[in-house]
Amino acid sequence: MLTGRRRIEDQFVYGIARPTGGHRAVNFRLNAPYVQMYGIVKRFPGVLACDHVDFDVRRGELHALLGENGAGKSTLMRILYGLYQPEEGRILRDGAEVTIHSPTDAIRQGIGMIHQHFMLVDTLTVTENVALGLKSSREPLLDLDRVEAGIRELSEAYGLQIDPRAPVWTLSVGERQRVEIMKALYRGAAMLILDEPTAVLTPQEVEELFVTLGYMKENGYSLVLISHKLQEILSISDRITVLRSGRLVGTVPTKDMTRQELARMMVGRDVMLERDRDDEIDVGEVRLRLEDVKAVDVTGQPALRGVSLSVQAGEILGVAGISGNGQRELAEVIAGLRPMTGGSVEMDGTPITDWSTARRTEAGLAYIPEERMHDGIVRDFAVSENLVLQEHTSDKFSHGIFLAFDYIARYSRQLVQDFYIKTPDIRTMTRNLSGGNIQRLILARELSRRPKVLVAAQPTRGIDIGAIEYIYQQLLEQRDTGMATLLISEDLDELLALCDRIAVIYEGQIMDVLERDKTSAEELGLLMAGVHPERQ
Amino acid sequence: MLRQIRISMLIFLLLLAACGGSDEDDGAANAEGAPFRVAIVMPSSTTDIAWSQSMYDSLTTVQSEMGGEDALKIAFSEGMFRVTDASAAIRDYAAEGYDLVIAHGAQYGNSVFEVASDFTETSFAWGTSSDTGADRGIENVFAYGAVANEGGYVNGVVAAMLSTNDVIGVIGPVAGDAKLYIDGFVRGVTDVKPDAQVNVSYTGSFSDTTLAAEAAHVHIQAGADVLTGSAQQVVGAIGVANENGVAWLGTQSDQISLGPNVVVTNQIYNWANVISDMIAKIETGELGGTAYKLTFENDGLRLEFNENIEIADEVKEAARAAIEDIKSGVVDPVLLEEDDE
Amino acid sequence: MFDELFTISTLVGILHSCVRLATPYLFASLGETFGQRSGVLNLGVDGIMLMGAFFAFYVVFEGHNLWVGLLAAIAVGILMGLLKAFVSVTMQSLQGISGIGLYLFGLGLSSLLFKTLIGSVEGVSGFRQLAIPFLSDIPGIGHILFNHNALVYLAYLMVPVSWFVINRTTLGLKIRAVGHNPEAADTLGVSVNGVRYTTMMIGGALAAVAGASLSIGLQNVFQENMTNGLGFIAVALVYFGSWRTVGVLGGSLLFSLVNALQLWVQALAIPVPSEIAVMMPYIMTIVVLAFTARQIQKPAALARSYERGE
Ligand SMILES: Nc1ncnc2c1ncn2[C@@H]1O[C@H](COP(=O)(O)OP(=O)(O)O)[C@@H](O)[C@H]1O
Ligand SMILES: [Mg+2]
Repeated sequence: MLTGRRRIEDQFVYGIARPTGGHRAVNFRLNAPYVQMYGIVKRFPGVLACDHVDFDVRRGELHALLGENGAGKSTLMRILYGLYQPEEGRILRDGAEVTIHSPTDAIRQGIGMIHQHFMLVDTLTVTENVALGLKSSREPLLDLDRVEAGIRELSEAYGLQIDPRAPVWTLSVGERQRVEIMKALYRGAAMLILDEPTAVLTPQEVEELFVTLGYMKENGYSLVLISHKLQEILSISDRITVLRSGRLVGTVPTKDMTRQELARMMVGRDVMLERDRDDEIDVGEVRLRLEDVKAVDVTGQPALRGVSLSVQAGEILGVAGISGNGQRELAEVIAGLRPMTGGSVEMDGTPITDWSTARRTEAGLAYIPEERMHDGIVRDFAVSENLVLQEHTSDKFSHGIFLAFDYIARYSRQLVQDFYIKTPDIRTMTRNLSGGNIQRLILARELSRRPKVLVAAQPTRGIDIGAIEYIYQQLLEQRDTGMATLLISEDLDELLALCDRIAVIYEGQIMDVLERDKTSAEELGLLMAGVHPERQ
Repeated sequence: MLRQIRISMLIFLLLLAACGGSDEDDGAANAEGAPFRVAIVMPSSTTDIAWSQSMYDSLTTVQSEMGGEDALKIAFSEGMFRVTDASAAIRDYAAEGYDLVIAHGAQYGNSVFEVASDFTETSFAWGTSSDTGADRGIENVFAYGAVANEGGYVNGVVAAMLSTNDVIGVIGPVAGDAKLYIDGFVRGVTDVKPDAQVNVSYTGSFSDTTLAAEAAHVHIQAGADVLTGSAQQVVGAIGVANENGVAWLGTQSDQISLGPNVVVTNQIYNWANVISDMIAKIETGELGGTAYKLTFENDGLRLEFNENIEIADEVKEAARAAIEDIKSGVVDPVLLEEDDE
Repeated sequence: MFDELFTISTLVGILHSCVRLATPYLFASLGETFGQRSGVLNLGVDGIMLMGAFFAFYVVFEGHNLWVGLLAAIAVGILMGLLKAFVSVTMQSLQGISGIGLYLFGLGLSSLLFKTLIGSVEGVSGFRQLAIPFLSDIPGIGHILFNHNALVYLAYLMVPVSWFVINRTTLGLKIRAVGHNPEAADTLGVSVNGVRYTTMMIGGALAAVAGASLSIGLQNVFQENMTNGLGFIAVALVYFGSWRTVGVLGGSLLFSLVNALQLWVQALAIPVPSEIAVMMPYIMTIVVLAFTARQIQKPAALARSYERGE
């Protein structure tokens, strides 16, 4: 262990460091475990985030870590990277026990981690970000030329396209991720942990990332990929470890697994995510129509530059796009929460451009906001209060200025039951519910009103697969009864599974509207990046 | 929470250190045979080598004449350039039962009258003014000021005789302030050399020593070979005059220590007589109503020559003659407007 | 009347004044730049300047060499910087408030020490004008640039030196990173607090030298509160210069130029009301600040203390 450690420290200066144990596969046995974790326990106030978890990664292996949100995936890996200290358990590197107190220790052990939130200094260049914290060969002076040469060499070797001289703030999300990978490679990491790396990428970028990961695998790197996207994991990993509620469900070779089996391991029961492809679409008249809608964002910059869309009864229209291209403003404009600077909105043929939010709600518009904790509920209200939030003044729920408490209670209990909202009681503070249950609550409130038009912004973001399944079912059921749905999502799989048509938004404009059956993730991905495939 | 408390305590300690040592008062009651207690609130410091120091030095002179701390106790608050701070200090001293509270700045007028009408048993003094508030029915306020144009005139005469270039520089604080001194000075110069050029520049501050120093540089480069100036900021300018061997004429306090080789004369404000007289009046129960003026005639103004450097006899002679002329009224350097330092 | 202002000798005089006046601003605001680039706002510069001014003066007043006086100021400045770092980095108190605390501390302590150790305003002989051979003989430029005391030259030397340290050394890279994204720096093993302590010491030393440049360079006296708020202007100049050394240089020169101009305008009896003249530098500062207020260069973590989250 000592020699291994010394070796990495020797490399802890400028110049490219190779993964310990050699750069080429011939130098080591492919199946030897690089890192092993045994009986890891980690508690947070009120949560057992890791409950005696075992985990190991071999050299030259891509090991996927799968689990619902809150399963403890990030926690387990943060322990390995020295960000958290485990209460119990042992960590071995190359068979020898090690203690990792900090990221610096982890880097010394050859372990690198790409966080969900990038750890980059925007104002610095790529090279400077890579050089940060390293000893220079010309201490105390910087030697950026040497770092830059190293970056170019690694770029070449692993297909990581980056301009070393570009300031990070000019880079796209995908490029930033490459810088993060570069940082780890340059520091001589032999193992790389990627925490949900694909969540922020376009399909093209995902593909490029996977190519890079493939090269790295060939060169003997150990890779851990955290994800909850089954398809991805099945296509790229060698083995899969599934966590549920902090416990290890099992570690299995990927080639033996199917989507259904994995989903069952993750959730603990059978799940149904695919839409029945044969269903008859029974579209009716236009319920929601947007004509040349323009709006500005919070900083006063144009966010919508003339959006025209229409959604028919019995149809789900998807809006695809990389976040920040006007989706939020689009949803808010329809909900009446953001003033328009041009254009018009119609519901059932009636112009509603000048209507207040309350009036739109009354007329049958429902809205599931993107920031559910912030815009969707009042955190410090009881579950029942949030359930009647919008309609509390209607005759159903009040006598004059007094609320009809008995009725509200009965009504709430019914909804909690119908929509499977997991809560100890209807008087529980909403803030104490999990994300998935808060989303069910909002869905219950919005859908129980039998709306004519539903605007759902990122309804499944950050919630567990069980809740997602339920939300899908609800959306489809309501669609069948004639509701017109505008579904804004960044998850292409979700859009392709649910929608009848998909509009792609880019820089505040609709690039195209495509039939679900006549498009592909690739085509959508290009449009999301602002490229018309046929015009390329 | 604990951390916040620790931080607050630390900051508090810093603040304590900042305030410590500038006040030396004790709240002992004024018993029979106890010392006379005087408090002074001043805009700058007791060592400003100008306006504030002139009063403080005079107080200590009176103190030693009267027999030391047992006879006269002095408390002071320095750096009260903000009127609100000064106002609070004046009220505190009055409330603590001081016999005489001196508000040593023209800007303190309103504060003095306000506090004086609340503490009619306490005596107050307000400089620079001739207004004792009598017309408002206030009887416990003395007023005092210096007829600075007298010394200004004499310094002007000296400057004119010393200058060979016939260019003289004046460094003022805030325009309008020190007007008496500067007007008198210009009169003195032109009475001797009608064609001499007097350049006046203001720094816009009483305490900007950096700018005052640069102003001295500027005057010297513009050809001045004699300089004068007013307010505590001049320390920087005297340093520059000293370095460049250019004559400096001081006012308000003794400034020779700063430029032993270049300070030629000092007009010194001697408040000792004024203070003694006020104390005497207070002890007979007369708490205010008198307006004092420092002049050459009443020995409130003094012109001192630097003993360490050689000064031509004719210069000294001319200065003495000017003083006599002022005393006897032959020369009247007065364009008298009131209320000036 | 105004043509007098545009004679060669007057222009040379104005620029000469300007170059000299910028000295204390340069030292202090370059020091503050180090701190702010690392994310620490130090409003206590004026207090540190006063302490530096006093100690430099006192050591020289006691008969020691000028350079010893300067070293004394540097030592005191480093201590004051450490104090500031302790309060705002280790104790994580609000940086604005602790800076004001430090200012009051420096103001009070330097006054107290002055009263007890010296007692009255005295003069010393400070750094003398040091005309640089040959260069100072160049007409015009020679007088403007090469006829000053040693501390003036040192101040201008500090501009490229500071630029170099910030942009070309590993320490500088850490400073920039810590000021912008301390979390990212931390995950790469950079000691955020260590870097901030370092910049506070550098800033403290430079602020103290700024003070010394007054008490043993430009004025050769010490007076209570002799900086007269100059340190606060130095802080503003860092914003003005949008956290770049060249910007700070430009700001210091511009501010000093307007100051020099107003002194000359008055000394030459050019009929501009002196109230207007003395306000010129401040009006200018506000105008320029208003135009430079939005800057992407601003360290994103400025005035925020850092604590590793678990
Ligand atoms: N820093 C923390 N403090 C308190 N609780 C935490 C913290 N980090 C994670 N948790 C909790 O630990 C559990 C596991 O979280 P995490 O590892 O982030 O899950 P995953 O990455 O699988 O979604 C969750 O219940 C989460 O709320
Ligand atoms: Mg996670």
